[in-house]
Amino acid sequence: MRELVVKYLSKGVSRRGFVTGLTKAGLTMSAAQSVLASVSTVTYGQTPPSEPIPPAATPAAPAAPSVAAAAAGPVKAFQGTGGAMMAEQLVASGVKYVFGNSASEDAQFYEALVDRPQLKYILTPHEGPGAAMAAGYVKASGEPAIVMQAGSVGMMNAMGQIFNAHKEQTPLVVYSYRTDQSRRAGRDGFEEVLNQEQIVQPITKYTWLARRPDMIPETLRRAFKAAWTPPYGPSYISWHSDFNDERGRTEIIPQDQFDPRMRVRPNPDDVQRAAKLLVEAKMPLMVVGDEVYKSKAAAKAVKLAELLGMPVTQVRQLYANFPEGHPLWVGYLAGGNLNSLPYPKGFDVVINVGNKFQHNGPNPIVPRGPKFIDMRIDHWSMGNVMLTEVPLVADVGLGLDDMIAAVEQLLTASLKQKVAERADDVKKFGTNARMLRAQIVNSTDWDNAPLATDRLTWEIGKFADPDAIIVHEAGSVALHNFDFNPLGGRELFFYYGAHLGSGVGTAAGVKLARPNQQVICLVGDGSFIFGPTALWNMARLQLPVITVVYNNHAYSGPHSRVIANVPSGRMVQTKQFVHDYLGNPDMDMASIAKGFGVDGEIVQNPAQLQAALARARKHTVEGKPYLIDAQVARKGVGWAETPWVPPIRIAEMRSKKV
Amino acid sequence: MLLLTAPVGAQQPPAPHKGLEIIKATCFQCHTDAMWRDQRQDARAWEANLYRMVGRGALWTTEEIKLMADYLGTDFGPNTPPVTPQAR
Repeated sequence: MRELVVKYLSKGVSRRGFVTGLTKAGLTMSAAQSVLASVSTVTYGQTPPSEPIPPAATPAAPAAPSVAAAAAGPVKAFQGTGGAMMAEQLVASGVKYVFGNSASEDAQFYEALVDRPQLKYILTPHEGPGAAMAAGYVKASGEPAIVMQAGSVGMMNAMGQIFNAHKEQTPLVVYSYRTDQSRRAGRDGFEEVLNQEQIVQPITKYTWLARRPDMIPETLRRAFKAAWTPPYGPSYISWHSDFNDERGRTEIIPQDQFDPRMRVRPNPDDVQRAAKLLVEAKMPLMVVGDEVYKSKAAAKAVKLAELLGMPVTQVRQLYANFPEGHPLWVGYLAGGNLNSLPYPKGFDVVINVGNKFQHNGPNPIVPRGPKFIDMRIDHWSMGNVMLTEVPLVADVGLGLDDMIAAVEQLLTASLKQKVAERADDVKKFGTNARMLRAQIVNSTDWDNAPLATDRLTWEIGKFADPDAIIVHEAGSVALHNFDFNPLGGRELFFYYGAHLGSGVGTAAGVKLARPNQQVICLVGDGSFIFGPTALWNMARLQLPVITVVYNNHAYSGPHSRVIANVPSGRMVQTKQFVHDYLGNPDMDMASIAKGFGVDGEIVQNPAQLQAALARARKHTVEGKPYLIDAQVARKGVGWAETPWVPPIRIAEMRSKKV
Repeated sequence: MLLLTAPVGAQQPPAPHKGLEIIKATCFQCHTDAMWRDQRQDARAWEANLYRMVGRGALWTTEEIKLMADYLGTDFGPNTPPVTPQAR
């Protein structure tokens, strides 16, 4: 028997021959299988093959089928091509969807998909919107996915969305092969770039190259673990493309065996200190952030706020992390500093729960003076800008549990009375604020055509389902009447990374993850035109998303900010703005949608809009996406009825009319 | 700052417009006057601009909005000469 094992390990006998030999030696079939499994487990994936294993796929010799060896506990031995190993590990990692663009060097992976229908490949016609779609799916489902691109060139197309995933802390795993094969690397080959993986290194949590075909699964596992270990973020992996064709033996390990999905409790002493500060504060203020949504901790944030009668706000984030209709909600921070909130004034303790605090100006968002408690798992930026009295590195769900318990212990009857009085004050402010904000319908341009931006938003707010998901990539559009509520109400998926072209792809991915919720994509014309290709995915996959383009034929945000930077300058005097007008000719987004197989229409005024929204609903009920190209008015300094266009007209300059 | 500077040679500056007082008290929390100093339009159009700010979280009564629009429509109306860079 020992000889037989040696023979098998040196590939002197096939698996079948090995098992037959064992049974001839007197073992039962099940005992023989058990020996095979243990021998395979020891060997596969740990010891390099003593001689090169020939590539599987040649035109003359089709690839031998992959072989899954008997299991040894949760670890499965596997033999096959690099592409098949990849597919097998993705299945074990819980991946259901692969978002990719056609790539010849991934042939063995495609081959492996044929017999693995549980792993679904979504062909995306451009890597950017494709990656956005994957990110939308991951964000809305909480499940892993992978983005595959064709070599360095595909990777570069997706980099904008990798950047967004980096800024938004989305656990996106990205793979592209290296076109340079292992035996000809460094020769300036087709699409070859030196140190391909280093291009994305600053915008990923983890970057690695598999050094051998049998290390593809291990590399994948590490990429998923890195991406999904909080604070989340994208990871990038790669390998020489010939590894996909080579055959090897390896281990396949299920996700729960390699990814701890780490959840951290805060330091108990610091929790006590923070609770004391909060309880003794005259006016505490809570800022919430995306870690609340990611940890599904919104109910706990509400409970802590209610325990303390504490007003709640949010600084720019991706999600709505607190119910906007709650009496303690005081609105979003519009300016750059908490002092710009209309209420409360004179807060003396601030607690942040899970906000990254994107600073866009020199002043700290939490001003100097109030004591600051910072609770989040993203410890990296703690203390970088704000003075932090109590840092609480924690999963915010667990952190809030502990904080609630600590506060409850400290609350006396007299403190509870103060809390109740404070809560009444906050509620009065909130009631008044809601009444004042509702006056927006009195705007003098409310019934205009082209539409006032706020009228368009208001109509969509009226139209949207109570649990609709709003994907928002319409930069300067304020969503004032949606009453977002992460506790079962409307959800917001804003764009935080701001690499444009994410909205349509994200909406497609969100709908893929949540088919039973209405998904509405709000997108500016400038953003839309960066990434409309995911409309084709909506049509093909029957993803009934409603896309509304706020089309003012301009980059409105840059228009206003440029004038703010150069007020009263030559641009204003001459009304010559080279950088912002997208008309002449006007882009027809409804026609673009039709080209991708999505029905749509242009609307100019409120009545047309209402009718179009009704048609959009009908389409989505029937399983079809719909696009509304809503013409909205340009607002801001210096816009002419027909804006100036740089006089570059090549046709008239020609000497030869060809 | 155009909004905050009294005309040269004025003897007794008139009482500031109530609309200007509201603008000073609320708008400068987020903006400098560069956001609107070059804009010229009537009070009705200014009112629409102010309601856009309501959509962004500004908390004003209808009366306050009217006062601000009235001030802006007068001092930054369609017939007001443009600001030149030298006047800054």
